Amino acid sequence: MMDAAQEDRHWGALSELPGHPMMWVLILTEVVTFGLLLATFTVTGAVQPGVFAAGRAQLDSALGGVNTLVLITSGCLAALAVEACMIECRRSARLLLAGAAALGCVFTAIKVAEYAAKVEAGIGLETDTFFTLYFLITGFHLLHVVLGIVIIAAVALHDSLENLKTGTAFWHMVDLVWVVMYPLIYLVG
Amino acid sequence: MTHIAARRATRAWILLVLLTVLNMVAGQAGAGGLVGSGVVLVAAVAKGRWMLMDFLKLRHVPPGWRILLSSWLVLVAASAWIAAAIPRLRG
Repeated sequence: MMDAAQEDRHWGALSELPGHPMMWVLILTEVVTFGLLLATFTVTGAVQPGVFAAGRAQLDSALGGVNTLVLITSGCLAALAVEACMIECRRSARLLLAGAAALGCVFTAIKVAEYAAKVEAGIGLETDTFFTLYFLITGFHLLHVVLGIVIIAAVALHDSLENLKTGTAFWHMVDLVWVVMYPLIYLVG
Repeated sequence: MTHIAARRATRAWILLVLLTVLNMVAGQAGAGGLVGSGVVLVAAVAKGRWMLMDFLKLRHVPPGWRILLSSWLVLVAASAWIAAAIPRLRG
């Protein structure tokens, strides 16, 4: 059996971060992956500026903004849940986590409605390069939101402080990626 | 500590909401151009930084982690701005 000090040495610098180090391996991998996807999007935008300007004009930037407000509010509730857990207010922590997960569901619903509107307008994955990357990148992010909701629900049921720090760290990564993705895809160009 | 952290998270949320609304208004007004894009991207980096410090609570971890993740934010935002500038510079 490894004691806590041995396990900290085993994970090295990762043990300095909040939550389980294994979650941070996943978070850092995802951050690199999304970084590469966003770099692909911006470089392709520089090569095909006309296609990207036309594609961006068909997006609803207000809806993207509303989704940003939804996700950052959810992130705040998750952060406050950890604080509530630290002072042993388990009921408050669970309610805050439920709020965070509910807002994650709102984000998903808005995103699905946005996709449905595009499909109704005859826009799909193969419309042009802009929309291929739009659907792939935002769809990949949406999968992470759904996974995040499941993780938040799991840590609300098994609500040790370590579990909450681990689960909410993943949620904040999903939040962080969207905060950068929103201006890149909807606004800048 | 927890009281201060909760207050910081709430303050960060207010700032994040304000910056997001600013971005939405800029987007609706069609504030394009390199300056407009730059302002929107700087706001995104600031938002990301507040999330790292006050939601993810990296304020109390060794500075290397904050530098690493903040650099990711700056790198992604800078590459987006450069990519937006290239077609304009070409004319």
